[in-house]
Amino acid sequence: MIPEFEYAPYVWTSYGIFAMIVAWQIVQPILKRKRLRAELQEELALAQGEYSDDPNA
Amino acid sequence: MIWKKIKVGFHKLGSPPVFYRVCQVVAPWLWAGAAVCAAFGLYKALFVVPPDYQQSDSFRILYVHVPAAWQAMAGYLVMSILAIIALVWRIRTTEIMAMMGAPIGAAFTTICLATGSIWGRPMWGTWWAWDARLTSMLVLLFVYLGIMGLYAAFEDKRKGARVACILILVGLVNIPIIHFSVEWWTTLHQGSTISFFGESSMDASMMPPLWWMVIATKLMFGAALLDRSRNELVEQDRRKGWVRQKMEATA
Repeated sequence: MIPEFEYAPYVWTSYGIFAMIVAWQIVQPILKRKRLRAELQEELALAQGEYSDDPNA
Repeated sequence: MIWKKIKVGFHKLGSPPVFYRVCQVVAPWLWAGAAVCAAFGLYKALFVVPPDYQQSDSFRILYVHVPAAWQAMAGYLVMSILAIIALVWRIRTTEIMAMMGAPIGAAFTTICLATGSIWGRPMWGTWWAWDARLTSMLVLLFVYLGIMGLYAAFEDKRKGARVACILILVGLVNIPIIHFSVEWWTTLHQGSTISFFGESSMDASMMPPLWWMVIATKLMFGAALLDRSRNELVEQDRRKGWVRQKMEATA
């Protein structure tokens, strides 16, 4: 049930911007953590001689 | 005795593995608290509070605009305290936290400027005016971006953090300017309607959602700061033993 407001486009756009920017604050660190973990595990595998660039391996 | 425990705890936070663990444990709780507070705040702001007699429903923008503006300034104060600690005691985890506060502060400043502009269009008849409050807030955004850029420009992250910490302290002068701009100059932006110590000119029935949203933004800032600091610490220490051990444990 979405309330019908006067000036609705202004109100909902403002809340939308707030939600999107806050969501990015949650998502960005998660994405970076995933990328870092993948990089570090690749480096670790390389150091231990277990690295393979064959996608079917 | 308690003072000594606090001191030891503070020093322990300087240890990267301890700091990493604290961030890992505390951040999800802060996000959960923020979600609960925001849910209460948004429900009351959108469904409970009546429209304003002059601004009608457009006043509801206040519930995202004001908490974001306050957090943009409070975040800067937090960064300034961290910058002083980082410069005096050279604690690396504090340096990292001071640096990681900048993108979050910039995000809240962007919310404040964007929602303020959207609110201004129906109420003032313009998206933007070069008045003292709006301009000083825009300067705050540029200061945040400057800190991020300066830190990123240095290959030696510790040197970059020290230089950026000095910029944080220089930029601190802008915070009282933002706060008092509506008193010092004639501005299109209204004066303060909410007072912590005196009587607010806003009706009491409109206050509860504001406080819920203010607490929510504070918790969001804390959670995002810990999340970003944890990542930055791992990135900086990627060749160190404790990071390798964590990776081996999760592999």
